[in-house]
Amino acid sequence: MTQPTPAPTQASTSPAQFPVAERLAEIVGERHVLSRPSELLVYNSDGLPGYRRQPRLAVFPGTREETVAVVRLLAAEGLSFVPRGAGTGLSGGALADDIVVIGLHRLKKIISLDVANRRATVEPGVVNLRLNKHVAPHGLLYAPDPSSEAACTIGGNVAENAGGPHCLKYGVTLNHVLAITVLLPSGEVVELGSKVGERDGYDLRGAFIGSEGCFGLALDITVKLTPKPQTVRTLLADFTSIDQAAHVTSAIIASGIVPAALEFMDGPTIRVVEDSIYAASYPRDAEAILLIELDGLEAGVSADLEAVRRICLDGGARNVKVARDDAERMKLWQGRKKAFGAMGRLAPHLIVQDAVIPRTRLPEILATIRAISEKYGVVVCNVFHAGDGNLHPNIAYSADDPAESERVHKAMTEIMQACIDAGGSITGEHGVGLDKMGYMEAIFSESSLNAMCELRAVFDPERRSNPGKVVPVHACKEWHAVPGGRLRTGTSSLTDAPEPRPVEAEPSHPSAR
Amino acid sequence: MSTEAVVSAIKESGSTRSSLRIAGRSTWLDAGRPVRADKTLSLRHDSGVVSYVPGDLTLTVRAGTPLSEIERVTREHDQWLPLDPYGSPDGTIGATIATASAGPLASSFGLPRDLLLGLEFVNGRGDVVRGGGKVVKNVAGFDLSRLLTGSWGTLGVITEVTLRLYALPKADRTFAVALKGSKKEVASLVRAIVMSPLTPFALQLLNPPVVRALDIGEHPVCLIRLGGNEAAVDVQLRALSSLADSKEVDTAVWDGLRNLENGAECVIRISGLPASFREVSAAMLSDEYPWISEYIDPVRGVLRLVLRAPDDAAASEDSVLGIDPAGRPDEHVVFEKLPGESWDGIPSAVSDSLSQGVKKAYDPHNILNPGILGD
Ligand SMILES: Cc1cc2nc3c(=O)[nH]c(=O)nc-3n(C[C@H](O)[C@H](O)[C@H](O)COP(=O)(O)OP(=O)(O)OC[C@H]3O[C@@H](n4cnc5c(N)ncnc54)[C@H](O)[C@@H]3O)c2cc1C
Repeated sequence: MTQPTPAPTQASTSPAQFPVAERLAEIVGERHVLSRPSELLVYNSDGLPGYRRQPRLAVFPGTREETVAVVRLLAAEGLSFVPRGAGTGLSGGALADDIVVIGLHRLKKIISLDVANRRATVEPGVVNLRLNKHVAPHGLLYAPDPSSEAACTIGGNVAENAGGPHCLKYGVTLNHVLAITVLLPSGEVVELGSKVGERDGYDLRGAFIGSEGCFGLALDITVKLTPKPQTVRTLLADFTSIDQAAHVTSAIIASGIVPAALEFMDGPTIRVVEDSIYAASYPRDAEAILLIELDGLEAGVSADLEAVRRICLDGGARNVKVARDDAERMKLWQGRKKAFGAMGRLAPHLIVQDAVIPRTRLPEILATIRAISEKYGVVVCNVFHAGDGNLHPNIAYSADDPAESERVHKAMTEIMQACIDAGGSITGEHGVGLDKMGYMEAIFSESSLNAMCELRAVFDPERRSNPGKVVPVHACKEWHAVPGGRLRTGTSSLTDAPEPRPVEAEPSHPSAR
Repeated sequence: MSTEAVVSAIKESGSTRSSLRIAGRSTWLDAGRPVRADKTLSLRHDSGVVSYVPGDLTLTVRAGTPLSEIERVTREHDQWLPLDPYGSPDGTIGATIATASAGPLASSFGLPRDLLLGLEFVNGRGDVVRGGGKVVKNVAGFDLSRLLTGSWGTLGVITEVTLRLYALPKADRTFAVALKGSKKEVASLVRAIVMSPLTPFALQLLNPPVVRALDIGEHPVCLIRLGGNEAAVDVQLRALSSLADSKEVDTAVWDGLRNLENGAECVIRISGLPASFREVSAAMLSDEYPWISEYIDPVRGVLRLVLRAPDDAAASEDSVLGIDPAGRPDEHVVFEKLPGESWDGIPSAVSDSLSQGVKKAYDPHNILNPGILGD
């Protein structure tokens, strides 16, 4: 593996002083290549404050042809790169450590919309919400709805196998992507899956989804669209105890009703949201709220609504409020979707976790999280996709205070261990990236990690696409001798999970995007 | 039988360079291309539930567990795995995942890849590998579960799977709409049904030979399965009545449809853009070829052709059905079962370099089901 052509790192470099930059500029135009450290600052983090990596160079192709030419040039030079969408990722996945960033946000064409067959083909830089706005007049929607939908790209969604509140009923990105045209790191273009039907052969499209930029770059994506439900009803149930809300969540799931969404916010999160510009009139004195959405045919929804209301009240809900109209629904959702942003107000840094647990274990794990937070004197804000058991325990803190950092780090490690011990996973939707690599060995055996390395090697034998992410390099049997590798590897055990690094500059909070 | 037993069988084959025919309960061993293997590795005795917490709506079972056993176990808790591949319910879950076999419920509950949460397999070197997990949402690591689904045993022997379950619906009723009239009338009725607000569990268009075999009439039929709470089914039934006359049939008709393929010589699946199936379905549903069973899922965009008599099959392949093995640009033709010699000239779906790379990495000695995918 070779690193970018040596160039002064401190002094500002113009494309002229940097041969590859110059040649990239010939492909995409000078305006679309950044190589000065000051210009590159914007690209030194993603949505997860706490990690910073300075790219060597950033290039922003404007067309598919330019993208192919850029990747072929990098392949010829043996240079590594990181694909980047909107940079809203929450695992440090889009960070480029002294290598090239290929920003794809200019590839934002909706290539085709086929209403009769309920599918659309888009370029990777198309923003999730924009696709939804585009198809809405046809009575259709694109189901995966990450809370970052207003900013994140479909390419990033595919790379992370993104989820969202409505994935409880509708499934995640994986269940909605039919085909992907992939630009392999070698510069070769391949079509995975099928735009028209169901292919046989190995499900390489399935393998690519969630590959976090390590298998190459998605050039266009064909997604399945879903008819808009006839009726949507949203309930807000509030509780004076976390435990009651957790039990009600389990009871709703066990009842067999599949809500479109079932979201959980605890007291600290409610109050943070209510103090922010996203205030949604949540009851400030509640210890937990459940935001429950039911959709489908009017008659069926009404019946389920009654059943869910009963389960909430029987489970100790103080109040169950049903949104009267769309405006009220949107307001209830706004508070949930902007909760991470609102947390940014608490303290300069934020750890966002993404563990998944079996749904029946929710009451117990939430009690454990509370005990851990008390033990370490940290405030954990829980806001998560409860119906899927996908937790987001978040801790706002100041990384400038080493003692606090240590307590936060220890608390988070214990929380993750509790989720793993419960038979869960370390990430439900944000991906492993850089942030969760240290936990991979806690849930996968050496041979499983090696099988993942082998799969990656098929797509990217030289490991030039997003190197050093997802699977710790030392877990890959054949990769131990990486020539000239300046890859930053993961740490080897759970207890040395990579610590969020103190940052030099003002952290960017998701809310700023 | 256990994972360790699979490991030692594979390691032994690897060291002697002898090949293995991977089998579940051998209900569908004649599917796919002929395999020339030295030994059979059967998982039929590696069966049973590993863990089942009904409140989680997830189930982990050994690969040799028959689908009928999964149905029995989950039904006790008013749950089900909505996966109804054509063929026998005696088939194993491991084989169902390995062949990515689906049935009529796929148009609403998804394909096997959508119901699978994680799996354990043994690769061609005898390494035990796990992909995915046991929880309903998981993006940790690269997706080996999807990779193995539909790999027909050529990348590894699946030993255990974790699946997503659903609650059994309160109401589950099936209705038959006779498709009478001109091609144009049939096409517009099918379109009206598919584009209506109905959200059927399953919807299949059956040609007359199928209708007769199932004993539900004479004409082509649109078979609709409505499920959910009582209110949701009632309202859909009213909507359906406004579009066409329908008569209720026993839900067991779906088992009959699945079983229809048992013993068939030739099964061909054509998939394409769903709308194109709505347009052409009327023509396909004709009664001209009584030896061909045809059913179409116009929501998913899949047509299945089942031929019983081998001679007719061979004769009809090109001349009658006009099926080009390579498919047309807007469709995919998958041959699930063919008489042995008919495989010649049918291109392999795994001959591309990525697929070959994966095969080499996972089964370097080519000992697992060699030849079944034609590579
Ligand atoms: C406030 C907030 C809320 C969020 N809520 C959710 C949520 O509910 N559910 C959820 O799943 N996520 C959520 N996220 C995380 C994030 O938005 C998603 O992971 C999203 O899919 C990332 O998209 P992006 O375009 O920003 O990708 P980036 O952050 O730019 O990149 C993410 C990864 O994808 C790779 N990548 C990007 N584009 C491509 C491409 N075209 N081809 C190949 N690889 C590519 C990158 O290399 C990187 O590894 C949230 C984030 C924020 C800030």
